[in-house]
Amino acid sequence: MTTRPTMIEFRDVHKYYGDYHALRGITAQIRAGEFFSLLGPSGCGKTTLLRTIAGFEDISSGAVLIDGKDMSLVPANKRPTNMVFQSYAIFPHLSVEQNVAFGLRRDTRPQAEKDKMVAEALEMVGLKGYGARAAHALSGGQRQRVALARALILKPKVLLLDEPLSALDKKMREQMQVELIKLQRQVGITFVLVTHDQEEALVMSDRIAVMFEGEIAQLADPETLYRRPNSRRVADFIGVMNFLPAKVLSEANGHIQVEAAGLGSFDIEAQQAPGEITGGEASVGFRPETLTILYEGQTAQDRETAGTIDEVVYYGDMTYYDVKLDGVEAPVRISMRNVFGRPVLDVGTRTRVAWSPGALVLFR
Amino acid sequence: MMKLPPLRIYALAYLVFLYAPIVLLPIFAFNDGTIIAFPLKGFTTEWFAQMFHNDTLGRALKNSLIIAVSSAVMATCFGIFAARAGSRFNFPGKGGIIGLIMLPLVLPEIIVAVSLLVVLLGMGVTLSIFTVMLGHILICTPYAIAILNTAFNSLDRSLEEAAYDLGESKLSTFRLITLPLVMPGLISSFLISFTISLDEFIIAFFLAGNEPTLPTYIFSQLRFPKQIPMIMALGTCLVLASIVLLTIAEYFRRRGIAKTGGKDTGGFL
Repeated sequence: MTTRPTMIEFRDVHKYYGDYHALRGITAQIRAGEFFSLLGPSGCGKTTLLRTIAGFEDISSGAVLIDGKDMSLVPANKRPTNMVFQSYAIFPHLSVEQNVAFGLRRDTRPQAEKDKMVAEALEMVGLKGYGARAAHALSGGQRQRVALARALILKPKVLLLDEPLSALDKKMREQMQVELIKLQRQVGITFVLVTHDQEEALVMSDRIAVMFEGEIAQLADPETLYRRPNSRRVADFIGVMNFLPAKVLSEANGHIQVEAAGLGSFDIEAQQAPGEITGGEASVGFRPETLTILYEGQTAQDRETAGTIDEVVYYGDMTYYDVKLDGVEAPVRISMRNVFGRPVLDVGTRTRVAWSPGALVLFR
Repeated sequence: MMKLPPLRIYALAYLVFLYAPIVLLPIFAFNDGTIIAFPLKGFTTEWFAQMFHNDTLGRALKNSLIIAVSSAVMATCFGIFAARAGSRFNFPGKGGIIGLIMLPLVLPEIIVAVSLLVVLLGMGVTLSIFTVMLGHILICTPYAIAILNTAFNSLDRSLEEAAYDLGESKLSTFRLITLPLVMPGLISSFLISFTISLDEFIIAFFLAGNEPTLPTYIFSQLRFPKQIPMIMALGTCLVLASIVLLTIAEYFRRRGIAKTGGKDTGGFL
C-alpha cells in the first residue's frame, strides 16, 4: 500500500475532566481513506478521543487537525466529519427519509436532486424502499443503516463510528462488519471506529490504535498488533497469549539468546523483542496457534518440548488444550484445528509440543 | 355467584367514598329545588341558566382563566429551564438548587400564602390577580419541573448531538429535535399547572384582594343557601372540564411515549 496523505492529526492532545486526566498526550496520525480503529477497554479514553475529532469534546491542550486544518475554533456543526452514534440517535419523530435528508436541510440544491441523493444513500445501505417508514419502527440493524446513510449523505471527509455494532446480536454484528468494510471501500471516506471488541477491530481495520488509560499503547496494522504486540498488556488485550518466565543470556548482532522455563535456551532476532532489552528477567509470549501438539509418528520441524495435557476444551472446529510443559507449573494454551482423522486427546495424556523460536515475542 | 373478598370490598368502599359526593353534584344541579336533600323534586336547567347570567361569577371565571393560563405558561417555561439544566448540565450546588425549587411541592400552601402576603404587603404591592399569579407560578413550577424532567431525561442526548453534527445550530437543533420530542411533556405540564391553578383556593383567598377567583367565589356563595344549587351546577361543569383536561394531558403523554417508541413508566392516569 502506498502511503496516503494524513487526514487526522493529533498533536500531544490532553483532556482533563476536573482532576481526571482522560487523554494523556495523544500524538498520532490517521491517513486519508483508511479504516482506523480506536481499541481499548472501557474508560481508556477512546470515545473521548473520537469526540474530540467530532468537536463534541474540547481538548485541554494540544491540537487536532483535520485535513491539515486546526480544528480548535471549528464547532462540531462546521467540521467535515459526521458521526454514527452508539445509540444510532435516529430522530424518532421523523421518517427514515427525513432522517437521512436531515443533513441536507441547509443545502441549496433543488429538492429533486436532494430526493435523489436520499434514495441513493438508502440504496447504498440496503434500505431501498424504506424511506416512508417511521424511524422508531425499525429493527436494530435497520437503524444502524439509517444512521450510516444519514451520516454519509453529506460526504464527510471523516466518518466517526462510536461502537456502532455493540447493540447488535452476534450474527448481525458479523454481517454488518463485512458490510461496513465494503461500504468503506466503496465510498473511500476515512472511517474512524471506536470499539472494545478486539476481534472486530482486527477484522475491520487497516490500522488500530490500542489505548489504555488515556494513552495509545500501540498503533499498528492488525497483523503486527497480533504477531508483535509491543507490551504484555497489548498482547493480553488482543487475543490469547501464553507467557513463560525467561532470562536474557546475551545479545549481539541483532540476536538475543534467551532461556525460558520449559523451553530451554534458544536464539531470537532483535525485532522479536519490542522495547529495550537490557538483560535480566523477562518473559516470552506466544499465541495458542503457534504451538502444535505432535501425534504419534510426527516430528517437529524446529523444536519440541514434552508435556502433559491438563485440560481439553472442545469447540467443534477447534480444540483448546491446556498443556503443562515439563518443568513449568502454569499450563500453556494450545489451539488445534480438528482436521479429519485426528482424535481429540484426553486429559492426562503425555504429549510432545512443537514450537519455533521465530514465533515468540520477548517482553521485558 | 360472585365472591366478595375483604380487599375487593375495601376497594369498592373506597371508590364509593371517593366518587359519591361528585356523583351528587350533577344530580342536584338538575334538581328543581333549593334544598339539597332527597327526595328529588323535578328536572330543571334553571341553575345552569342562573349561572350563565351571574356577572360576578363571570368575572371570577375570567380572572381564574387569566391566572391559570398565565401561571401554566410561566410555570412551564421555568420548568423547561430547570429541567433542561438539571438533565444536561452538572454545576456546583445542583442538588441543593433543584431541591429548593421543588420544595413548594411539600410546603403547606397556607405558609406560602401567608409569607407571600407579608412580603408583598411589605413591598407595597397592591393585591390583584397578578399577585395570585405569582403565588400560583410558585406552586405550579415544581409540578411542571417534575413532568418536564421525565421528558428531558428520556431524551437521548446523542439525538441533539446528531442534529448538531449534521450541520444545525444549537438553536435550530432545539427547535427541530428537542422541542418536538419533549412537546407531549410540555402539553401535560401546561395542563396540570392550569388545573392546579384553576382550583387553588388558599393563595387566591389571601392574595387576590377584592378580585374574585372561581374557588373564592364559590366559597363566598356557600353562605347563601339559595345559591347552592347554582354552585352545584358550576361544580358539575368544573368536574367535566377537569376530566377533559386530564384526559388530554394523559393522551399527549402516552402519544409522546408511543411516538418515540419508549416504554410507559407511569403518569397520572
